Amino acid sequence: MARLSYGTAARIATRELHSSRGKFTFVIMSVAIGVAALTGVRGFSSAFRTTLLLRARSIMAADVAARTNTPATPDQQAGLKELTAAGNEESPVTEMLSMASSTTSLDPLLVSLKAVDPAKYPFYGTVVLEPAIPLKQALTDTTVAVGDDLLLRLHLHVGDSIKLGTERFRIAAVVEDEPDRLSGSFAAGPRVLLTQRALAATGLMAPGSRVTRRYLFKLPPAKPGQALSDAAVAALKTKLETLLPEAQITDYREANPALTKALDGATGLLSLMSLVALVLGAVGVAMAMRAHLQQRLDSIAIMKSLGAGSTQVMKIYLMQTLLLGLGGGVLGVVLGIGVQMAFPLFLAKLLHLTPSLRLDVHAIGLGLGAGLLTTLLFTLPPLLDIRNVRPILILRRNVEASDDPFTTRMLRKLKGSIAQIVASVFILAGLVLLATRVSDSRQVGEWFAGGLVVVLMVLLAMSAVMLWLLRVFLRGTRLHLPSSLRHGLANLYRPGNPSAALLAALGLGVMQIAAVYMVQRSIVNEMHVTTMENVPNIFLIDMSTDEVMGVKVLLSQQASVKGTPEIVPVVSSRLIAIKSVAMDKLKLQHMGRAGQSLNLTWAPTADAPPPGDKVVEGKWWTAQMAADSASHPLVAIERGRANRMKVKPGDTITLSAQDDRMVATVAAVYEADSRHTFSRAEFILPEPALAGLPVVWYGGVHCDPGATAMLRRVLYEHFPTVTVIDVAATLEVIRQVLLQVTYVIQFLAAFSIFAGIVILASAIAGTRYRRIREVVVLKTLGATRPRIATIFSIEFAVLGLIAGAVGLVFANLLARELLLRVLHFDYQFQPWMNLGTWIAVAMLTVVAGWMASHRVLGQKPLEVLREE
Amino acid sequence: MGASGSGKSTLLGLLAGLDDPTSGTVALNGTVISNLAEDRLAQLRGRTIGFVFQSYQLIPTLTALENVLLPYELNDDSGGQKAGLERARELLVSVGLSARMDHYPVQLSGGEQQRVALARAFILRPPIVLADEPTGNLDTVNGEHILELLLHLNHVEGTTLVLVTHDPALAAHARRVITLRDGLVVSDVVKAAAPPVSAPSVGL
Repeated sequence: MARLSYGTAARIATRELHSSRGKFTFVIMSVAIGVAALTGVRGFSSAFRTTLLLRARSIMAADVAARTNTPATPDQQAGLKELTAAGNEESPVTEMLSMASSTTSLDPLLVSLKAVDPAKYPFYGTVVLEPAIPLKQALTDTTVAVGDDLLLRLHLHVGDSIKLGTERFRIAAVVEDEPDRLSGSFAAGPRVLLTQRALAATGLMAPGSRVTRRYLFKLPPAKPGQALSDAAVAALKTKLETLLPEAQITDYREANPALTKALDGATGLLSLMSLVALVLGAVGVAMAMRAHLQQRLDSIAIMKSLGAGSTQVMKIYLMQTLLLGLGGGVLGVVLGIGVQMAFPLFLAKLLHLTPSLRLDVHAIGLGLGAGLLTTLLFTLPPLLDIRNVRPILILRRNVEASDDPFTTRMLRKLKGSIAQIVASVFILAGLVLLATRVSDSRQVGEWFAGGLVVVLMVLLAMSAVMLWLLRVFLRGTRLHLPSSLRHGLANLYRPGNPSAALLAALGLGVMQIAAVYMVQRSIVNEMHVTTMENVPNIFLIDMSTDEVMGVKVLLSQQASVKGTPEIVPVVSSRLIAIKSVAMDKLKLQHMGRAGQSLNLTWAPTADAPPPGDKVVEGKWWTAQMAADSASHPLVAIERGRANRMKVKPGDTITLSAQDDRMVATVAAVYEADSRHTFSRAEFILPEPALAGLPVVWYGGVHCDPGATAMLRRVLYEHFPTVTVIDVAATLEVIRQVLLQVTYVIQFLAAFSIFAGIVILASAIAGTRYRRIREVVVLKTLGATRPRIATIFSIEFAVLGLIAGAVGLVFANLLARELLLRVLHFDYQFQPWMNLGTWIAVAMLTVVAGWMASHRVLGQKPLEVLREE
Repeated sequence: MGASGSGKSTLLGLLAGLDDPTSGTVALNGTVISNLAEDRLAQLRGRTIGFVFQSYQLIPTLTALENVLLPYELNDDSGGQKAGLERARELLVSVGLSARMDHYPVQLSGGEQQRVALARAFILRPPIVLADEPTGNLDTVNGEHILELLLHLNHVEGTTLVLVTHDPALAAHARRVITLRDGLVVSDVVKAAAPPVSAPSVGL
């Protein structure tokens, strides 16, 4: 046997490609659609994420921030220097309360100072000033920018001067908006923005004064065309945690809880969709290749009878597979780029965002690689089957005939399939590898890859069991059933029929499509709630008890105020001990000294958590327990805080307020909802427990974003001592980002679902070639077209119903696990949606089968006389 | 009879209405079929013609019994399944497959498959049975056996049997032999009487 060169193999392979162009076009299209879905979703989602994260960073003005109340030790300063030497940019922000006075009237006023380095601050976002001048120009060593409430209260104007400590400063501008207002301190008093050097010059930073420092970091820019890697951010975060053990370190993804969740959800979902696109593409390839190879059996038998060895034939078909995979892959990448470019055009009106139209080399490589690899991986087992194709096939079909018992047959089959099994193991390994490469969220990738293997096995097993049950059922009843139904059902388990494979593929497809839909729906629902109108965007700090009523009345008279203002009592307190261990004996990280001073509050209702808060551990107290709380104090703690303090329900904490000590038992741990003002306090006690302690009130109210300046002015006039913090601009940024996330994930989900349906439909369509002969025989025997159509419809409907049922069960499981465990969103079983999907799957299967069989039905029965 | 490519299959296709003639008309049992709609034609064909093919053409998903029953189900609207079932069983017994009724085609040998096909061709007692090289895929012993069965059934059921072959030995069994070459009828010989039919030997 002469060795077949790869060149000759390729020539024979291409020759065959030429001969049946129609069928091969179908295979190439299947590969292309899969690869296009992957490249399109991947490319666009990475571009979108980059843009989105840039906005998220502006909320913190940095990539990573470390917030501490203790000045840096020399060691720590050296450590910070090292970090900047490594390419990170660092800029300190110092915040403190101080007194300011007008240089003309000498009226004193409590102000909240914020010292920055205008050369670097902010790394992301902009400080909006009035007049609109750059921050660098406004802040010099002798000038400051102030909040408009300061001008109002001290009767000053831009250009006038104020005195801070020992120095005088000219007011250069009014601060309209700071990007990091939400992540800074919510302190009382109008804002005064100045440079670090100016602050040093005032002499206010005497030892012992309460100063909060935030070190803002910006990572070195990533390589052009690449998103900032999450790993680099995490690495810097870890370094800072070791360097500044008492500091609270946050990265840009944690700047706002709603935003963090949205980003996590979107990232997870986008990963899921990429993976789904990958697997569905692979399914498309696998089904197309299977049908294709079935068709080639004759050619293979002929080649073998002409003296070709298995290796040679395999070489030829390997070349052919590679050509098809490559052709489909290239076409798919081109299509994918088209899709990727079309997304922003579709979304332009909704998003006001233009993801850079650069080609993501990574995504293209991945798409091409995935197309080729899956083509190979999924065709290797059937290709290995070539070794078993006996040349006798050329003379006779159906040479395989055996009456052996089932087990012996299975054993023999298993022995004969070792190569296939080994190849299958490689398939799975390859898939896992691809899945981890494709996934932005490692967790989603791991869950998916692990789940995929299990689900595929279970699906195959379940399909086999279903078919077996069907067979048993038919055995018992078959001759009593109407003949079309019987024939339709019998078609499902024809010998050598890929029903089990098709069922598994369909089930897998349904599972993934439905899971994408469910996860998407859950995330979008939650984000719609988050972007609701009534999120407080104006905060009122330091109201006295006798001002509260007046503020409420004033707010209710403002047309721009939406909803009821939430006004929360706050009692200042210090944490003395946890579980009877004094604080200075405890080594808790990231608590710092500031961690020991806490805000206590009580809920408006005696026996239920305040609006928006949800108990996650323990139980809320009853009205009776609340009434007894003066003698037996209880406390509910916000989850994050409870975790940092390492306390659980049943533990005790010792608090001191106004020199009174109180040992409170932790009754519950709750999750705060950042939309409510109550999330400002992390410790909730029953009201009687706090009776008699000095209270200040905090308020939160939603105001039309355009009218906040007006509201501020009205409040200053009537309640000059109340500090008003306006975060409307920041919240608007968050709201926009959230909206964009929902639009994009809905759009991408719709796209993946559509692509999935196309791929599944084409997988079904791929079975049409094996029907031709059968249609012809039936016609010859006198079957009308409606009759044949009925038989096929029953077959497809049953296929769709089984695949839909299995797929939906797993879709719910997958969506539930992903939502609850990985992404921390709510999961709710939706019976109607599931029922609707089930019916839709069955109907779509029938329609796809119909469309595929349409041409087959028109086949002239004369074929029956022509030997195959 | 005729050699490969002489037009045997084309003629058979036209006779059974499996293909449309480019010119002229085809009448089946007195009905002009060349202008019938496809589905009407299928029904007419189902009732009038039984087929036996060289490569059996059984439906792989149906058992032997179901394959035999299929024309009955496709063409009988009376719903009298029982009568059909009985007839199918009888026919299978008469071709010696009483023990293989619930087997699938892949579980049957070529000869057995062709016997199922024979039973299927006769189930509706069609006036005409078309057999296209019915022994072409079989060895001599099986081939002879099938031929015996075919002729026997033909005799018992009283159908018109049209047998297509290139084998003169097979053609020798016919009362009328039409020879084709290059699409043309070159001879049409009618014999006085058919040779005697030996009783079929059932069971191989």
